[in-house]
Amino acid sequence: MLSFINSFISQTITYAVVYTLTSLGIVISGRAGIFNVAAEGIMLASASIGFIVSFLTQNAILGFIAGMIMGGIFGFILAYIHESFKVNQFILGISLVILGTGLSDLMYKLIIGVKLTAPRAPKTPLIKIPFISEIPIIQAFLNQDVIVYFLYFVILFAWWFYYRTKIGLETRAIGENPKAADVVGVNVVKRRYLSTIIGSMLIGISGAYLPIVITGTYMPDISAGRGFMAVGIAIFASWKPQRAILGGFLFAAIEVIAFRLQVISQNIPYQFFLMLPFISVLIIMMIFKKQIEYPASVGKPYSRE
Amino acid sequence: MNNEIFVELKNIRKVFGSVVALDDVNFSVLKGEIHGLLGENGAGKSTLMNILYGLYSPDKGEIYIEGNKVKINSPYDSIKLGIGMVHQVSTLVPQFNAIENIILGTSEDKYRLKIEEEREKIKNISKDLGLEFPLDVKVKDLSAGLKQKIEIVRAIYRGAKLLILDEPTTSLVESEFKDLLRTLRSLVKKGVTIIFITHKMREVLEACDRVTILRRGKVQGTLDKEDMTTDNIVKMMFIEKDIKVTESALPKVELPESKKSPKPILELKDVSVESSERSVGLKNISFELYGGEILGVAAVSGNGEKDLAEIIIYPKNLNRGEIYVDGEKINGLSTLQVFSKGVFYTPEDRIKEGILPDGNLKENILLGHHSEDRFLNNKTFIKWDEVRITTVDIIKKFNVYAPSEEIIIRRLSGGNIQKVIMGRAFVNPIKLLVTHNPTSGLDVSTVEFIFEKLVETRGSGSAVLWIGEDLDELMILSDRIAVLYKGELQGIFNRDEFDKYKIGLLMIGGQR
Amino acid sequence: MKDKKILRVILIYFLSILFAFLVISIIVSIFGYNVIKVLKTLLTTSFKTTFGFQETIKKTIPLIFTTYAYTIPFMIKFFNIGGWGQMLFGGTITAVVGLTLPYLGINFPSYIMIPLLIVTGILAGGFFGLIAGFLAAKFDINPIISTIMLNFVAVQFLNFIATNPIYRDPFEGHPITLPLPKSGTLGFIYGVPVSIIFAIISIIFVYVLIKKTKLGYEITAIGHNLDAAQKFGINFQKTILTTFFIAGALAGLGGTFEVINIHKKLIEGFAQTSGAQYGIFGVLTGLIVAGDPVGVPIAAFLMSVLLVGADALQRTMQIPVEMVFLSQALIVLFIVTFRERFLRRT
Repeated sequence: MLSFINSFISQTITYAVVYTLTSLGIVISGRAGIFNVAAEGIMLASASIGFIVSFLTQNAILGFIAGMIMGGIFGFILAYIHESFKVNQFILGISLVILGTGLSDLMYKLIIGVKLTAPRAPKTPLIKIPFISEIPIIQAFLNQDVIVYFLYFVILFAWWFYYRTKIGLETRAIGENPKAADVVGVNVVKRRYLSTIIGSMLIGISGAYLPIVITGTYMPDISAGRGFMAVGIAIFASWKPQRAILGGFLFAAIEVIAFRLQVISQNIPYQFFLMLPFISVLIIMMIFKKQIEYPASVGKPYSRE
Repeated sequence: MNNEIFVELKNIRKVFGSVVALDDVNFSVLKGEIHGLLGENGAGKSTLMNILYGLYSPDKGEIYIEGNKVKINSPYDSIKLGIGMVHQVSTLVPQFNAIENIILGTSEDKYRLKIEEEREKIKNISKDLGLEFPLDVKVKDLSAGLKQKIEIVRAIYRGAKLLILDEPTTSLVESEFKDLLRTLRSLVKKGVTIIFITHKMREVLEACDRVTILRRGKVQGTLDKEDMTTDNIVKMMFIEKDIKVTESALPKVELPESKKSPKPILELKDVSVESSERSVGLKNISFELYGGEILGVAAVSGNGEKDLAEIIIYPKNLNRGEIYVDGEKINGLSTLQVFSKGVFYTPEDRIKEGILPDGNLKENILLGHHSEDRFLNNKTFIKWDEVRITTVDIIKKFNVYAPSEEIIIRRLSGGNIQKVIMGRAFVNPIKLLVTHNPTSGLDVSTVEFIFEKLVETRGSGSAVLWIGEDLDELMILSDRIAVLYKGELQGIFNRDEFDKYKIGLLMIGGQR
Repeated sequence: MKDKKILRVILIYFLSILFAFLVISIIVSIFGYNVIKVLKTLLTTSFKTTFGFQETIKKTIPLIFTTYAYTIPFMIKFFNIGGWGQMLFGGTITAVVGLTLPYLGINFPSYIMIPLLIVTGILAGGFFGLIAGFLAAKFDINPIISTIMLNFVAVQFLNFIATNPIYRDPFEGHPITLPLPKSGTLGFIYGVPVSIIFAIISIIFVYVLIKKTKLGYEITAIGHNLDAAQKFGINFQKTILTTFFIAGALAGLGGTFEVINIHKKLIEGFAQTSGAQYGIFGVLTGLIVAGDPVGVPIAAFLMSVLLVGADALQRTMQIPVEMVFLSQALIVLFIVTFRERFLRRT
């Protein structure tokens, strides 16, 4: 039983990296007023480049860095086209999803090509803390790879940044009321760029995590809708970092549960378990309808007049 | 107060699109005074102050502070120059508490959030000014009065020497207004200069040392304390200085005798609409409007006049009371059902609420008539030929200057757009026309045309409910004028009782 | 004045395509391909052979349906990314009905069977679209999210049916259903699917709906100015629901024809391969026409030309099809940007 719980938690945390980093990334740009619906495309493009780089260099960390940079580029494009041309954020987001989808397979096919046996990603370094990593349950949290530790760090950092620093406070203010930030002298446009780029970088890391850690190899459409689910998580979290983290773990757990039930259950066709995470998003959004609060400015361009 | 000039704005001009918001405005404030800036809505008060605060940049003109010419490109600059502003709409972040809002954007230490250290400082300032508010409650849960106190403390915390208050009393109750006055006095004692924007005369009389009156983007004049009488102010606000201009600016339309219908066409009994964040709502409105009559509703915008128009065409929002059209109760009907009773409507904002900007004239004429059998085959297919004939007819009858009925309405001038909106109301014979500011921003000949149409409607035995803020216009054409202030009916004047001074006074909250 | 606008629109499209092809040319030349040959293959394959043209039409038909699915809700400023799922659901339910009837021993002649299956596709797709409409109207859930979630539900549902023992063809290695009865399938004329007739009917239907009916007028009015439309008595909530029903119904119809005309059975992989292609490219084509249903058939045809060209590139020059997908995404990105830049209202 203990080992079951252990492996369940451990697996959930692995998936939580994907959901939590992505939804945090969306929350971060949303807090500054940019609704990043392009997450799925960013994840795909970063997954591809991340895998390619890690495979060619045989270094997982370089793969994550490549994914992060790809995310940053997408974030910049999103912020630039939105701020400079006032293109609707949703139209832009959807276009970028398609761009990322095309780019991901293209890069893979051009650089790696078609192989008979799927190329494997190099191992991601694990971090083991002596003694503590031996304790059951706790072990599941701590006996993990560096990116999981990075996730823990990001969670703490995000909390510290938004609730313990002045620029964090200001960034939150932009999402709620850009005018409020503007009238007290905060440079709204600059903050929007920064937040979108940083948020997209996190999404990029999460994208790279999919082929490097979760599957160990690249395959088309590897994110399988998780980027969009993360958008759902960000909405239901009302763009609050702490709730996005919770939501990320919740959906990771749902995915793992669905996966396990699939193996155990014989009467219910497995397809219904595969639907479960997607249906959960909708049900949770219906249940929390009253609690959901959008940052007032999210999705809108800001101009003074 | 001494006679040293603190801020001076010279020859300020600001144009939004094709609207001249400010035209060659000169304005100066003395050190340590409370200076009122008075005018109707749209007179340019807020625009002028937003320029001073750096939110808008002027198209022309210069700003001097204590004699030095300054450039203000953003609030960041103005804050550094010691200017603080309390905006009409709260600019606090609703999700944040008072402390967070106050320290937001202050520049010294970018990274560290020193809530506890700042708490003392803020407490001291608020105690000093007698402005107490909870520090740790989210601002969205606080009353408007408290929010305003926070905004004032915020400005002082940042070292404001000049405080601009934009319509600070809009959402205050009487006792809060008294508190505000006391605060302003103590601020002045501490050497702060105050600009007080308002459209309510009483506040100017009670609060200000001097007052500058703006009308339609131009300065009408500045009055010193001793000249600040109700009489002088109302004259400056509502009556143009130059009588001749008045005569030529307003079209001459005769109001002939007409036969009033025996029974009222529109009857409101004790109608109430709850107030919301956007409006003051309506409180126990009752009146009757007869056929062959134009009832003018005079109100400064934001006093429930929009709710009055909307509740008649969408009575589903009615909280209390009854509305009758031609003796039939319309409570709970949909807009189209109300229209089918012979009512039609022209909204206040002709572009935002009145038209489909990218539609052609036919599509625009059809709006509101799109469910009528005369324009539909089998209740499904639109008889575009029929719509075309009607549109051409209206273009002709309403002198719409348009090359064809296929033109996209956005390409027409404001006057022609208004004629289309007006024409749409007369697609069918109507019993009641509800029209909201039908003449705002139009040239004299179009205004005259619209006047003629209203008189014609009245002559045909229909009723007109005309909601407007231009008292001069209302007085020319109305049989009676009702005054609405803060959602309450202040009284109804018959034509022989029309008195610009009396009505103007009621519109801005004075007593009869 | 009007001519000037048309000129500008043409310029925007021209520039966007030029820019996108420029980017692609650079990429393919970096990888050592002959740029002229690539562009020639891409643009002319559809017109060089009868087969190429037939293939183009074969892709155009479903693409028209999924593009409408995006375009009609977009007219009231809602994003239906669910054309994919609505098509899959329509196709799946069509297969279920088409296979269940013979399973129960009911054999209708084709003049009953075909209309029955078409109505099935319309209702199933419409129902699937309506879910998103309902979630938007009643729960304020952005259709971008709900339709995408529902897409994945539809994919799994299709797989569930395709692997279901009742429907599955036991002699196929891959999960594929039994073939539909002959009375429930459509054939080809000169190599072109008969469903083209229904595609043309749908084009006329959408045109009449938008331009000639009260509902179309209400949709247009809301798209132009929601405030004015509501003020003058148009029911927004109701229009959301009908719009999503129609969008889903059209996508569902597209799925029906894929099942009864192209595959004549339900294939598990359809969801991920050509089904996904029509879903994604429906959105792309929809973004290009920017909510103008009149442009849909032409844009869908041109998009199919590129898709057929992409297949040819892969066959003859081993250039991945994704190269073309990338160029299409770039075209869209350039178009939406230029459109905002050059057509922004003053």
